Amino acid sequence: MLPESAAAAKASRSELEPAMSAPAREYFALFQLKPVFRIDRAALTRSYHALLDQFHPDRFAGKPQVEQRLAAQFCADVNTGFRVLSDDVSRAEYLLSRAPINLKEAEREGVGSDFLMTQIALRERLESMQPAEVEAREALEQEINRHYATAVEQFEAATSDEHWQNAARHWQEMCYLSKLLEAARVGSR
Amino acid sequence: MVLMQISEPGAQPDQGASRQHAVGIDLGTTNSLVAHFDGDAVQVFKDVHGRASLPSVVYYGADKTEVGYEAAAHAASEPHNTIASAKRLLGRARAEFEDDPYVALTQSGLAFETDAGNKTPVEVSAQILTALRTRAEQALDGPIAGAVITVPAYFDDAQRQATRQAAELAGLKVLRLLNEPTAAAVAYGLDEVAEESSLLAVYDLGGGTFDISILRMSRGLFEVLATGGDSALGGDDFDRAIVDFWLEHYELDELDAGQRRLLLEFARQSKEGLSNGDTVTIDSRALDNGCDALLLSRADLDRLLTPFIERTLSACRQALTDAGVGSVDRVVLVGGSTRTPLIRQAVAECFGSEPLCTLDPDQVVAMGAAKQADILVGNRGAGEALLLDVIPLSLGLETYGGLVERIIDRNSTIPVARAQEFTTARDGQTGLVVHVVQGERERVEDCRSLAQFELTGIPPMVAGAARIEVTFRVDADGILEVGAVEQQTGASSEVTVKPAFGLDESQITEMLKASYEHANEDMLARKLGEARLEGEALVSGLQAAIAKDGDLLSAEEVSQLEAGIFNLQTVLSDNDPEQIRASTEMLGQASEAFAAMRMDRSIQAALQGVSITDLDGDEA
Repeated sequence: MLPESAAAAKASRSELEPAMSAPAREYFALFQLKPVFRIDRAALTRSYHALLDQFHPDRFAGKPQVEQRLAAQFCADVNTGFRVLSDDVSRAEYLLSRAPINLKEAEREGVGSDFLMTQIALRERLESMQPAEVEAREALEQEINRHYATAVEQFEAATSDEHWQNAARHWQEMCYLSKLLEAARVGSR
Repeated sequence: MVLMQISEPGAQPDQGASRQHAVGIDLGTTNSLVAHFDGDAVQVFKDVHGRASLPSVVYYGADKTEVGYEAAAHAASEPHNTIASAKRLLGRARAEFEDDPYVALTQSGLAFETDAGNKTPVEVSAQILTALRTRAEQALDGPIAGAVITVPAYFDDAQRQATRQAAELAGLKVLRLLNEPTAAAVAYGLDEVAEESSLLAVYDLGGGTFDISILRMSRGLFEVLATGGDSALGGDDFDRAIVDFWLEHYELDELDAGQRRLLLEFARQSKEGLSNGDTVTIDSRALDNGCDALLLSRADLDRLLTPFIERTLSACRQALTDAGVGSVDRVVLVGGSTRTPLIRQAVAECFGSEPLCTLDPDQVVAMGAAKQADILVGNRGAGEALLLDVIPLSLGLETYGGLVERIIDRNSTIPVARAQEFTTARDGQTGLVVHVVQGERERVEDCRSLAQFELTGIPPMVAGAARIEVTFRVDADGILEVGAVEQQTGASSEVTVKPAFGLDESQITEMLKASYEHANEDMLARKLGEARLEGEALVSGLQAAIAKDGDLLSAEEVSQLEAGIFNLQTVLSDNDPEQIRASTEMLGQASEAFAAMRMDRSIQAALQGVSITDLDGDEA
């Protein structure tokens, strides 16, 4: 029975619980990496390939169905873990999700007003540019890149000092800047 | 790093007498093929006239059904009974073809009206698959244990489901749906062991679909980095553009369906003639329309094709960006439409390298599928090439205001699973609708609707208090399963996404029964064979598992499992597929916890880099 009309009962996204707050597996251990921001990408890829080579559903052809299902579930975890750890921003978020802070609270505090102003200024410059201004676009892209690199450095420093509040702030800066960078790249194509 | 092998010696496939026959099938829009890998070489099966391609055409006359060349011969005289290019309609909605003069449909639903009754695209495809199965069974002189069927990488979930249904209807066990460009890459990878990793683009333009995939190949690993395309763009569109050009140029009168089919055939001939010539003249007196000859020049053709080619190139550029690479080492051409000189030239310019086409572009997909089928049917063990494929389109669900919340991004490696939490929007809300969509756009109406289901039984709470976890799971075939659970009460609901315009399970069963090729005995034999195979796999797998990892269980647990094995073995010698299925199911459940423990053990071993020799050494 569904007393709500279909339209009124549509799911709406919770603002309380992101799915990543309770990962099924410890991803760093899964790929035999130290749980730090700066990882050896080649080692990550090596472990990833080795795990899939052994547990991919194709390797379970002709095995009982229960084994096939377990292998597929494990591979799904491996694929998710690889994606989370491969990307700087999601790896940073994952590190924070294991840290002793309330990430949601930190998110509500947001980034500093200085950063916000810088970010808005960058975005306005990007939006006012014409497609033909190739050199100016490239220069701006590089500038955003430098800001991004700084945010990454600061995030890394904060995590190694275990200043989680600072780390959470720099992670949000990384989010803003990577989105901006993506917009700049799309625009220049 | 040396990893422990999970496959025990006891569970290794028997390489000797019981080699299983599996085939690769390229179910194409215009032509279909079936191929087999015998351990040494791939063989594409031919008909009695020595032709490898089977035209994907089915003729439904009042008293007979024909497939292939024989069917195509009826195209001009009985156009409504002669169904071609049904793949374009597989898993799609009727509304998408409402204004298409080239598709004649029944008044309601997506089916073709023929003298033999209404036929859905799934049934037409099943007919073609049946013809290919028969061809293979005759060539191999025995039944086929399974098939890998290729689909365009850009096929969405509904189109994949429809393909699976067609196979089921044709009595084929589907080992895997394999993306066409990936299959082509496997075929090209047959003779080489690339030590260095290299990047490969596969440009696949067939009769009705276009795919572009970017892969990284290294030492036995085929990793799809990105895929893109258009599941409704291909050589058929070229033919139609030529017909439209002629209609205008020669001011031809309104044509009937038969004349239109003839004109399409002329268009195809002209197009092919221009692959190595500058002008083509067609004798069109058969059209009986006051027009004796039709002319087409290379320049006309190039002008007509340019907009289509531009669409493919923009998909190529997007795929390169998605893959995060600037260029590739090699480009492979697949599909008959890539014989067009203008296309070769455009692809070479786009990727900056001369395309590779040493294998027949019409056969390369079936060849790769055959190789993969041989691995998946269990003829070879570990150490074989591994394919890592991706989903072509993002998956998400509808949230408040008709917006799409993306759950799984496109180009995610499969299998993949992801969960996301949602909550209720109103106080006291006890149910909600989960609407699953596929596509890249932000608004629901711009995406493809895959399924809709309700989650009920949520206790009344204030808005935002309920915690509903929605899980998306995509298997190695690219097929989606969605589940929703209210975390506090455990109220749950789930669906495997079924094509909205395909057939349901009972319809398929009905058709199987009705079909002449599947008369009752045949059906029973097939069911029995499948049930036995699954039962035997469980018995031998479990016996080997107990021998190796029995220490994980108590003596009592071991004897319980052994009793279950004994029971299943007894039932296996009977001829009752239902009984075998039930016993297999029971033993499967009883051994589930053991399987999970063994899985954990092998994962632990893999993580610690323990090699199999160490473990074997301990046991010896």
